[in-house]
Amino acid sequence: MTQQESTGAVADAALEREVAEMIVSALNLEIAAEAIDATAPLFGDEGLGLDSIDILEVALVVSKRYGFQLKADSEDNFRIFASLRQLAGHIAANRSK
Amino acid sequence: MNALPLLPDAPPDTRVAWHRNRPVTRAEFLGKVLALAAALPDEGPVINLCSDRYHFALGFFASICRGRLSLLPNALTRDTIARLQDDHPALHCLHDQAGDAFGLPVIPVAAEALDPRTHTSAPMIPAGQEVACVFTSGSTGRPNPHFKRWGSLLTNIRAEAGRLWDAAGGACAVLGTVPFQHMYGLESTVLLPLLGGGMLCAQRPFFPGDIATALAELPAPRLLVTTPFHLRALLDADLTLPPLDLIVSATAPLATELAQRAESTLGAALLEIYGATETGQIATRRTTTGEPWHCFDGIALQQHGHQTLVSGGHIEQACPLNDIVTLEDATHFRLVGRGSDMINIAGKRSSLAYLNHVLNSVEGVRDGTFCLPDPDAEAARLAAFVVAPGMTAESIQRALRVHLDPIFLPRPIVFLDQLPRNTTGKLPHDALQALIQTHLGDLRA
Repeated sequence: MTQQESTGAVADAALEREVAEMIVSALNLEIAAEAIDATAPLFGDEGLGLDSIDILEVALVVSKRYGFQLKADSEDNFRIFASLRQLAGHIAANRSK
Repeated sequence: MNALPLLPDAPPDTRVAWHRNRPVTRAEFLGKVLALAAALPDEGPVINLCSDRYHFALGFFASICRGRLSLLPNALTRDTIARLQDDHPALHCLHDQAGDAFGLPVIPVAAEALDPRTHTSAPMIPAGQEVACVFTSGSTGRPNPHFKRWGSLLTNIRAEAGRLWDAAGGACAVLGTVPFQHMYGLESTVLLPLLGGGMLCAQRPFFPGDIATALAELPAPRLLVTTPFHLRALLDADLTLPPLDLIVSATAPLATELAQRAESTLGAALLEIYGATETGQIATRRTTTGEPWHCFDGIALQQHGHQTLVSGGHIEQACPLNDIVTLEDATHFRLVGRGSDMINIAGKRSSLAYLNHVLNSVEGVRDGTFCLPDPDAEAARLAAFVVAPGMTAESIQRALRVHLDPIFLPRPIVFLDQLPRNTTGKLPHDALQALIQTHLGDLRA
């Protein structure tokens, strides 16, 4: 495993797993949480292939569970959804609960 | 032929837009539009891929000035663009990022790089000039073009402004969560503020937190242009928002319960807009009062056998509605049923006929149909039933992605040995509902 690239806190494996389970259950995905590659893209043509509707639903669950609002400059800018690891790291760095 | 000005009359220092934390005056906007217009090619339509709403507006108005038609395809996929390029070899694109231009020649749009022309008055545009082309998706997979003329578009937007500003108590700063490459977003977040005397806001906020931040920057009065899907997400986030003066929703039916929650939480009236690709916007209603749809000034409806014809106002030729309505009088109606197979998700549109055409064109798919298991959900998600021995959901998704906006990708894909088609090859409504009940029952609310 390589070092987390962003400057945010590094999420541990347990948080990664928790976030993966949250995504699968929020979106009714037909994939097991442990089958999500932590370094593959969540959004777009590759990897998990989530779209903007999915992202908005995940954002809502994140805000309820971890107590902070996600922000983006625009709909094209979902850097924090670049991978499960990136998202978990962002949550670790910003969570208030 | 008569001509109409590109922008409404106003003093040069009138604030017409809000871009990157600062106001843009009418003189600056017009100056940059004319500078960009001079940089456009002499022929061929344009496709506007700008992701910043202000840049998009500069490109759209510059194209009008140069007599260039703006094409607004339903989906920005390689496939769609390639077909448009076949039809229009001189096609160019306007772009404000380094992003994918689908191999088209690019005219870059950057507000800061445009040296505004000074001492300019708004050019006069022939009322009959075709300025935009929108598409309905035909069942054969070949989209049908609908051309919007300048005079008619301007009349339509003025009628919308009359209705909305009246409800808001004045011309507003307009913030939109909807894509402006589609008709609703173009009309209500780009043309309404610029042609109706309001203020265009460049931000395209996505997360509820972004909407709160963007609204707080804007001067009052404020109008939020959204969809039932985005509205539900915003309300569920439980944020404190700056006061709003009006909320507008369109694209999908809005539940009265959601409208009531929006009005009481956001402290503003909520109007729904009714329109279609063929007719443009024609009516509004205040959802919470239970009142019928009220046509824009000048628009009238007439029952003609099974069809309801709309005419007057910006409508150049009487045009049938796709939906089934009952008339209370010539300018008030109730929506009884959606007569078309239009699918509209979060401000993007397609049709079941087109989606099914694409699905059945996938190599390896013997038969297949899309369906909407829960049409009343704001976050409607399509599903599909397919007969495709040897294929996986993943391989079908991958093939569909080439042709469809990701929002229309089906989930789940249910594999069957055959579809319950009747002897004429049709898939009866009841049979499809039974399949949904059997295989997707737990997805329904």
